[in-house]
Amino acid sequence: MNRRKIKETVLGGLIRNNPTFVLVLGTCPTIAMTTSLAQAFAMGLATTFVLIFSNIFVSLLRNVIPDKVRIPCYIVIISTFVIIVQMVMRRFLPDLYETMQAFIALIVVNCIILARAESFASCNPPLYSALDGLSMGLGFTGALCLIGIVREFFAGGAFAGMAIPGFPAMSGAGASAFGFIAFGCMMALFNFIIQKAEARKERLRQASLPLAGGAGEVQA
Amino acid sequence: MADTKKNAVWKCIVVLAAIALCSGLLLGFFNIITYVDPLQSAYDRFAQDTGASFSEMTDEEGQQYENGSVIYYAVSDDGEWHAFLASGNGGFGGPVQVYLYFRGSVLEKILIGENGETYLDRLDDAFYGQFLGKDVSELSGLEADLVSGATKSSTAVANAVDAAVRYWNEHVTGGNTNEQA
Repeated sequence: MNRRKIKETVLGGLIRNNPTFVLVLGTCPTIAMTTSLAQAFAMGLATTFVLIFSNIFVSLLRNVIPDKVRIPCYIVIISTFVIIVQMVMRRFLPDLYETMQAFIALIVVNCIILARAESFASCNPPLYSALDGLSMGLGFTGALCLIGIVREFFAGGAFAGMAIPGFPAMSGAGASAFGFIAFGCMMALFNFIIQKAEARKERLRQASLPLAGGAGEVQA
Repeated sequence: MADTKKNAVWKCIVVLAAIALCSGLLLGFFNIITYVDPLQSAYDRFAQDTGASFSEMTDEEGQQYENGSVIYYAVSDDGEWHAFLASGNGGFGGPVQVYLYFRGSVLEKILIGENGETYLDRLDDAFYGQFLGKDVSELSGLEADLVSGATKSSTAVANAVDAAVRYWNEHVTGGNTNEQA
């Protein structure tokens, strides 16, 4: 396996192409399931599981699936793993399943999963596809958890279900509108930090060139 | 040329069917591992919600109505609680299962079971207050006020309550259940 490609795939899903903050995919579950950290984490893990396995199977079957029926095939594969998640959650985590059941079923139409199947898994080998699913899933989980922490803090005055003494809950902060505001603010902050980090990296690269000030670059 | 096109169509059909078949087999395997007996699950839920013991399901067959159905009905061992698992049609995401508990003939608890709704949390105390604490005779033919913004979800819950009340009037009052009939 190419080490550079592995690094690109992992960092891509987590940071550079973060599905929530950069690609702005899966906004519906992002708003709906981030009212608390526990729900956000569970939704993220469920999506990660589906992403990894659907990516692996789409990648394994990429040379077999005819182009004209690729989308129905992807949907069948994705929905299979979503139903498996539903079955496992209903059996082993019934309380959590009861609060999230409608949204677990909606993972089938989560555009992150279909987008990764179409743009990555269908043209890459299974190991890279699994890695892409893992990194995208963790990027999605991380983003949901960050928004979940902020929303739970303001709406319930709590962190992971534990009340923070002296912090009052803000009425209205649990509404979807506040979710959008929190989502927008965190997206702006995330992109601001990434752009600053990349600009700094570029400056360091320029400074390390043999002739400082960019003179070492080929002039057009 | 026509043969090539025909072959391509057949290939699409065969691949899609093969993937669907494999998916079905995989789901069947997981169903065996994670299977939850609905009857046992209902027993457990009735006991958990009421604190009473239920050793026998009075009606395992249930009853179907136009806008809902009664899936299971049981009486607690001490005869104090009448527990229903009812289903109401008309929800946004399909039928909504509702657990209804009558102490004597008064509706004491309404708890939401399996459903595909996303707006059930909008059903507030005022909505449930139309049913809770009321005798079956008051609930018969009750036209419940629906919740704005969650009209379909509240319709489904109201239909489930209505199904349980109709079942009560038809079978419990007279002492006949489907199994005894």
